[in-house]
Amino acid sequence: MSGSQQATDTDRYAGRRVKRVEDARLLTGRGTFVDDVVRPGMLHVNFVRSPIARARITGIDISEALALDGVYAVLTAADINPYVHEQWFSLEGRHAPDTPRPPLAEGEVRHVGDPVAMIIAQDRYVAEDAAELVIVDYDPLPPVVDYATAFDSSELVHEAYPGNLVGQIGGRPMADLAPTFDNAPHVVSETYHQQAYCAMPMETRGIVTEWSPSDGTMTIWTATQSPHEVRGFCARLLAIPEHSVRVVMRDTGGGFGQKVLPLREDMCLMIAATKVPAPLKWIEDRQEHLLAAGQARHEHGEARMAFDDDGRILAATIDHVQDAGAYPSPNPVGSGIAVGLIFPGPYRIPEGTFNSRFAFSNTSGRVAYRGPWQFESVARECLLDVAARQIGIDPVELRRKNMLRRDELPTANCNGMPYSDITPLETFEQALEILDYDAFRREQEQARAAGRYIGVGTCTYVEPTAGASALYGTEGATIRVEPSGKVNVYVAGGSCGNSLETTVIQLTADALGVDIADVSSIQGDTAVTPFGGGTGGSRSGPMTAGAVNQTATELRGRILALAAHLLGGVPVDEVEFTRGVASVKGSPEKQVTLAEIADTAYFKSGSLPAELSVGLEVSGRFRAQHLMLWANATHVCTCEVDIVTGEVKLLRYIVSEDCGPMINPNVVEGQIFGGTVQGIGGALYEELAYDDAGNPVTTTFMDYLLPTAAEVPTIELGHVETPSIGPGGYKGVGEGGAIGAPPAVINAVADALAPFGVRISRLPLTPATIVNLLEEAAQRGAAGAAAAAGAARTAVAG
Amino acid sequence: MKPATFEYHAPTSAEEAVGLLADLDDAKALAGGQSLVPMLALRLAVFENLVDLRRVDELRGIETRDGSVWIGAGTTQATIGRSESIGLNVPLLARATPLIGHLQIRSRGTIGGSIAHADASAEYPAVALALDVELDALSPRGRRTIPAAEFFTGTWSTELEEDELLTGITFPVWQGRAGFAVEEFARRHGDFAMAGACVAVGVGADGRIDRCAISLFGLGPCARRATEVETELIGTSPADSDADEIGRTAMAGLDSVPTDLHGSASYRKRVGAAMVARAWRRALQEAVGD
Ligand SMILES: Cc1cc2nc3c(=O)[nH]c(=O)nc-3n(C[C@H](O)[C@H](O)[C@H](O)COP(=O)(O)OP(=O)(O)OC[C@H]3O[C@@H](n4cnc5c(N)ncnc54)[C@H](O)[C@@H]3O)c2cc1C
Repeated sequence: MSGSQQATDTDRYAGRRVKRVEDARLLTGRGTFVDDVVRPGMLHVNFVRSPIARARITGIDISEALALDGVYAVLTAADINPYVHEQWFSLEGRHAPDTPRPPLAEGEVRHVGDPVAMIIAQDRYVAEDAAELVIVDYDPLPPVVDYATAFDSSELVHEAYPGNLVGQIGGRPMADLAPTFDNAPHVVSETYHQQAYCAMPMETRGIVTEWSPSDGTMTIWTATQSPHEVRGFCARLLAIPEHSVRVVMRDTGGGFGQKVLPLREDMCLMIAATKVPAPLKWIEDRQEHLLAAGQARHEHGEARMAFDDDGRILAATIDHVQDAGAYPSPNPVGSGIAVGLIFPGPYRIPEGTFNSRFAFSNTSGRVAYRGPWQFESVARECLLDVAARQIGIDPVELRRKNMLRRDELPTANCNGMPYSDITPLETFEQALEILDYDAFRREQEQARAAGRYIGVGTCTYVEPTAGASALYGTEGATIRVEPSGKVNVYVAGGSCGNSLETTVIQLTADALGVDIADVSSIQGDTAVTPFGGGTGGSRSGPMTAGAVNQTATELRGRILALAAHLLGGVPVDEVEFTRGVASVKGSPEKQVTLAEIADTAYFKSGSLPAELSVGLEVSGRFRAQHLMLWANATHVCTCEVDIVTGEVKLLRYIVSEDCGPMINPNVVEGQIFGGTVQGIGGALYEELAYDDAGNPVTTTFMDYLLPTAAEVPTIELGHVETPSIGPGGYKGVGEGGAIGAPPAVINAVADALAPFGVRISRLPLTPATIVNLLEEAAQRGAAGAAAAAGAARTAVAG
Repeated sequence: MKPATFEYHAPTSAEEAVGLLADLDDAKALAGGQSLVPMLALRLAVFENLVDLRRVDELRGIETRDGSVWIGAGTTQATIGRSESIGLNVPLLARATPLIGHLQIRSRGTIGGSIAHADASAEYPAVALALDVELDALSPRGRRTIPAAEFFTGTWSTELEEDELLTGITFPVWQGRAGFAVEEFARRHGDFAMAGACVAVGVGADGRIDRCAISLFGLGPCARRATEVETELIGTSPADSDADEIGRTAMAGLDSVPTDLHGSASYRKRVGAAMVARAWRRALQEAVGD
């Protein structure tokens, strides 16, 4: 739209705390989640799952289960797996190297929870009764439980992958950097081990599949972040035309990456629906979720940094290994590379390299989780604090010395990542100012003197958002001014708490120049919305903004042309159009409303000159010009550690972030809060744990501990708004909270315990772990003191 | 996570309830359901018959009697938490109540269910044990009263017979100078405790400790008393007591302390010692009144 006609900044809805349009239905219990979908004659699915980490299946007897009243079918791999035609994700592309992913276990089970058979029954109760009657004969095999030793195991999770190696990826050889490390005044290294944890959406996975044999169409209701991915996947899976599949999602109760791709159970429901004369519903229960919805974060890596005498970083490397579980989705190598690429973070690091290896194990498969590469920040930021203590410099000073400044941008990090429009130092200083860092250090000194251990930790990171990969480099929108002048905007959707409905109508109202109350949005139905990637990779904000802006600009042009005609044939550039009312510049008394314009466009086409187009509807597709848009933030956390029980109490939590101009601060802040709490969970509470035999030990929320409101302090926020090169200057903000929080919390704990010489290398920091660390440090200290005393004696004797 | 099929019964008197428990095959009492229902949903427990106690009015109520307070087994934890009389007369019970789960759970969970369920980490069994309560039981064979010291017999097991119902609990009201405290450590607010301790202590006219009870939870198969320390403390002067030492002594020789994902036995003992010490300090301070 031309500058003069654009609404002034203060008139814009973008940037304002517009109330979320979703809230009225969600807060009154009127959301529509998958379990709310009820179809005539619908039957219920329950899976028989492996109780053993690894075993050969030598027989399955379904007769007793089939005989149970209310059971309609019991299907095994032989009934389902042969009907997989093609199985690949649009996100990855047809030719991307992929890992095995059979719908049902065939011949061998590979983790506890591996689906072996599928019960179809009148209700879930009967389906669960029936599951107990299916007799599966298992011949147990030695499982590969610990991914860290999987490469050396003689047992194979998948025969086709020798050494259990999924793949390997890296930069220049580590040996190249030997001279730098050998000659550096300070070299710091630590191997960090992160536990498995994962997304725990309030709504578990779930799907309803309805096959219509008369016309060969499939309708799917599912909890997804990406309805179009599900549609394409299903069409390929069943070898039916894409337009014969319709995927509908209204509300998805949390996704966090886990619901980007359809998983094995979804395949089962898609195939089974074509075999039985009834719609099928499967709602994952929490126990299944903890067994089979996937794991994330399970990885370790040796991080190394070399420093000069002044504490300037000379080089940084990371040697990283990640657990893929038995059936990862997608192949983890593609996203795992980001750990190494982003390891240098927001620092000036002249040299570096990385190596990542990915191991299969007989555990739940790896899936995407909010900031899937976050280990780079854990390893880097925790190592920097270790370095500060080792070199004897304040960790804040060390960071200030090394952090990239605005005047150094754009630049590329030593692993080739091109940074631009980031403000790490600004967010760092802002967060420290909110805390009053110096005051905290004084308070800490007094506390220590009184036998109380408080600490502060920071994490500053840069984050690639809205990555416009070759496959998802576009986004579409359709905007329709209805005959009454009301506006509908159609985008792919996939909103799962990230409030796409609200931001899209804000953007549309601004770009068209209409009142927000006149705009509504339709999303999440592949039958009516344009193709799009959905929610993932912090792409929705910028990509949808691009689609809406481009489409609305064209539609606005048509509105103005019609208005110019209705206003008496004035030139188009003399027309002003704001809040749905057109007038001629300089003579505001002459007006025509959007309702009148629409009425003309649809019902009075005869009165219009031939060169004016009729109707008011435009579809547009935005093509990203960027590779990715960099966002950045600093998290600062303070805590108190009870050195008797090992309990960590968070005192203050501060986030200063730069996601560019905020479309809606409420939505941005909601994203930051949620991600931060997940990161706090990862640092202190959550663990998807297995015993040595590969049995999951955290199968309910009694043992898998999520942080609640009682464990999390008020999160204080600061914003820096630096425009990106993307549409509207926006950047993504979906994932960062979950990246920045774990290192900030870990560093705060390490700082609190610094007087004891504690070194943290294993997560999560449970109270018992902290007590162990204290005891180990005490032993080391005692041994060190004894050695020192011994040395002194020797010196005296000598 | 759906329970197996069961028959549901809702008697209106305790007599009728125990009759059902005795006559029906594989029957179990259902109170607030906050422990039983999750176990049914996970199919960790399967019963053919559930006898719901919610319509049995005689199981509910709080009555101040001569030198004691009687609480009906079906009284919810939330009702107990709100009771002024309990706050005044049985402070230890009042102070333990907010530590049980969350408000939603306490609104359904009952004192009888909590004590009959006898979870090793639950607060109420430890309170009952510390205060030497009397537990009223009813079965088709009649009524009997079981002293707390004999009630808890092991992991999730009690003196109650399968057809026996806990009907009420009688709490003695401590007179004179006394102090009460409960301290526990849980991973999160509202979780079952990893280790906890209740202390009740009385100080006589001579200024010496004349009554003393220390009970532990989360530190064994069921709630237990630290009898040896208690005996040592009787007759001593509050000024001489070393809380940390009392904590350590209470842990010495404890067997069957659980180990799980959240902490080893030795970790639990370390925390247990701290909880005893913290509870002791607070209770004693209240008793000596400064
Ligand atoms: C998330 C969560 C957190 C919790 N946290 C805690 C906690 O921190 N501390 C704590 O102590 N508890 C906790 N609980 C358990 C809660 O306190 C339960 O309410 C209590 O353990 C059982 O009481 P109920 O009335 O719900 O009994 P139910 O669950 O109905 O029954 C439990 C058992 O007691 C038996 N029973 C019940 N009443 C009687 C009776 N009158 N006579 C004989 N047998 C009877 C039943 O047959 C059953 O075997 C928690 C529960 C949940 C769900």
